[in-house]
Amino acid sequence: MNDHRIVLMGCAQSAGAAIQELQDRGQALPDNVEWVRMPCGSSLDELHILRAFESGADRVMVLACYDGACRSVNGNRWAEKRVEAARAILEEVGIAGWRLAFQQVAPTMAADIWQWIADFQALQPPQDATPDAAQGAESEA
Amino acid sequence: MIVAERKPLAEILANVQNVNKLLVVGCNTCVAVCLAGGEKEVAVLSSALRIGLRDTNPNIQITQRSIERQCEEEFNAELADDIAAHDVVLSMACGVGVQTLAEQFPTAIVYPALNTTFMGRPEERGVWSERCMGCGNCVLDKFGGVCPVTRCSKSLLNGPCGGSENGKCEVDPKNIDCAWQLIYDRMARIGQLDRLLEIEPAKDWSTSRHGGPRKIVRKDMVL
Amino acid sequence: MKSGSNLERILESGVFAVTAELGPPKGPDLKAVDEKIELLRGNCDAVNLTDNQTAIVRLSSAATASVLVQKGLEPVMQMTCRDRNRLAIQADLFGAAAMGVRNLLCLTGDHQCFGNHPGAKNVYDLDSIQLIQMVARMRDEGLTQGGDPIEGAVPLFIGGAANPFGDPFEFRVIRLAKKVAAGVNFIQTQCIFDLPRFKEWMRRVVDQGLHEKCYILAGVMPLKSAGAARYINANVAGIKVPDALVKRMSDAGRGKKAQAEGMKMCAEMIQEVREIEGVRGVHIMAVEWEAAIQPIVEMAGLLPRPIMQVDAEGDA
Repeated sequence: MNDHRIVLMGCAQSAGAAIQELQDRGQALPDNVEWVRMPCGSSLDELHILRAFESGADRVMVLACYDGACRSVNGNRWAEKRVEAARAILEEVGIAGWRLAFQQVAPTMAADIWQWIADFQALQPPQDATPDAAQGAESEA
Repeated sequence: MIVAERKPLAEILANVQNVNKLLVVGCNTCVAVCLAGGEKEVAVLSSALRIGLRDTNPNIQITQRSIERQCEEEFNAELADDIAAHDVVLSMACGVGVQTLAEQFPTAIVYPALNTTFMGRPEERGVWSERCMGCGNCVLDKFGGVCPVTRCSKSLLNGPCGGSENGKCEVDPKNIDCAWQLIYDRMARIGQLDRLLEIEPAKDWSTSRHGGPRKIVRKDMVL
Repeated sequence: MKSGSNLERILESGVFAVTAELGPPKGPDLKAVDEKIELLRGNCDAVNLTDNQTAIVRLSSAATASVLVQKGLEPVMQMTCRDRNRLAIQADLFGAAAMGVRNLLCLTGDHQCFGNHPGAKNVYDLDSIQLIQMVARMRDEGLTQGGDPIEGAVPLFIGGAANPFGDPFEFRVIRLAKKVAAGVNFIQTQCIFDLPRFKEWMRRVVDQGLHEKCYILAGVMPLKSAGAARYINANVAGIKVPDALVKRMSDAGRGKKAQAEGMKMCAEMIQEVREIEGVRGVHIMAVEWEAAIQPIVEMAGLLPRPIMQVDAEGDA
């Protein structure tokens, strides 16, 4: 079930290494999952997330290192803050917050990433939610 | 510095929802420093607006610019062509910048994207607090460098009031220090506590905004 | 005599004074005021009329004070700095003096964020000490704050508040000294539950001789229930009811039994503070419980209240 466009953003150290492992194993990411590799969580800006939604992404997932594992010390926490900031803006312009996810990850967690993507792909809007702007955009596409 | 923050997006969207060509202009001085209206914030806001308007106004053209300092006409002059070519200008400057643009380009429609709040200082990354309300007659020499006019919620000159508890102001104990606790502690440290025995007389508010909007003319500078 | 008020005469004569409070209604309903007047008549020497207390709009202190004058019960008008600038304050004081009000309590006033109009503009043109100074000048020199002569006299007995329990503790006595220097004639303190801390404050006050420059009335408050005590602790800045007293209230039971215990505790507190050097009277804050005043004052042995004889010139 690969209906929704997902943009996956992650830092090179953790997510990047795990995605590389997937590719080495011959497990390519599904067609409508775009992988954006950042040098570090500290280089993430909410603008990157907004641009992803602007360009038609239905959901965005950001991956960063666990606390204490970031080589820039706080890059992962910075990334999480940027995700919170982006989520607040998205809610204000009619995009439901559940469409933006943040996960901490280690380089060895290739299988987990694979599962998270699948779960994120399958995620439905909460039962009681009114249709948000992203659903509207998708149904016209 | 002047501190401001971005208006709720719903308010901004309401003002631009029917605009064809929108010019978003940031300012790289105060509002850039307080992370509200600089070049980066212009990019973020423009992207957010495009997302927010894609159902109702998908063909909106949004141009992004930013100016060194929007309160000075010579910097704004470079916007003349852009302003003429767009229907509405959304200024991410403080209230001074917004008004300067409107005065300089009187046929332009200029809307503010920020709520300008106060003159203050950064306390730590991401935190700014008010320090000066421009009363026009500085009395910081009498109070150990802590302004009772601005930092006391009641502007008491002979404080504290009964609402000072554990060094906090009862109006908002989480965020507001009791100015008079700060004054007392500071004056004690610099050995000027005895000055607080003097009664500070009623303030002449006419030098502040209460006396009307103010203007300063340096005749020695005007040719 | 600064004002010739009953309260002033009582204090001058050395009698232990009793003042109480009347909370005006949230509208022009004078019937509510009349009922409270009759509960208080004869049980105290003067009655405070609060001024938009906790920034909740009520019938003005000036208007209510005028009503009390008409009904023969002596008012203490309260004036905060929160709502009026110096022009309005002086105009209201002219009005009060013209209507026979002779006692004034000068207060800073709770910030409007606590009340029912939190979006109102802040005034605080003056603070309480500048207000005291201004009123003393109006009375003693016959001049407005701006320096113009006043047509008529403003004979007001000037009061202020004091909070022996606030921070910074060391500064509280200095602030009282400033009020005395500004011209205050009497002080009503914040309600006392922490007797040791109050005694310590009074000791410092007496040390500085301030008790001889103004009359100090100790503030007390009867508790209606253990719940009321807990509410005060959680919500009212500057007042802390000790756990022992809360327990005493909850042990007493509920309803009338709790109220009786609360009034008894208040009377006991009055007897305690009477013994403290420098305390010249008591101010009983029975919030929305004016009916408690008579029993409390009686239990404290302070009834009947003296009527001060006034001779032809208006002096006692």
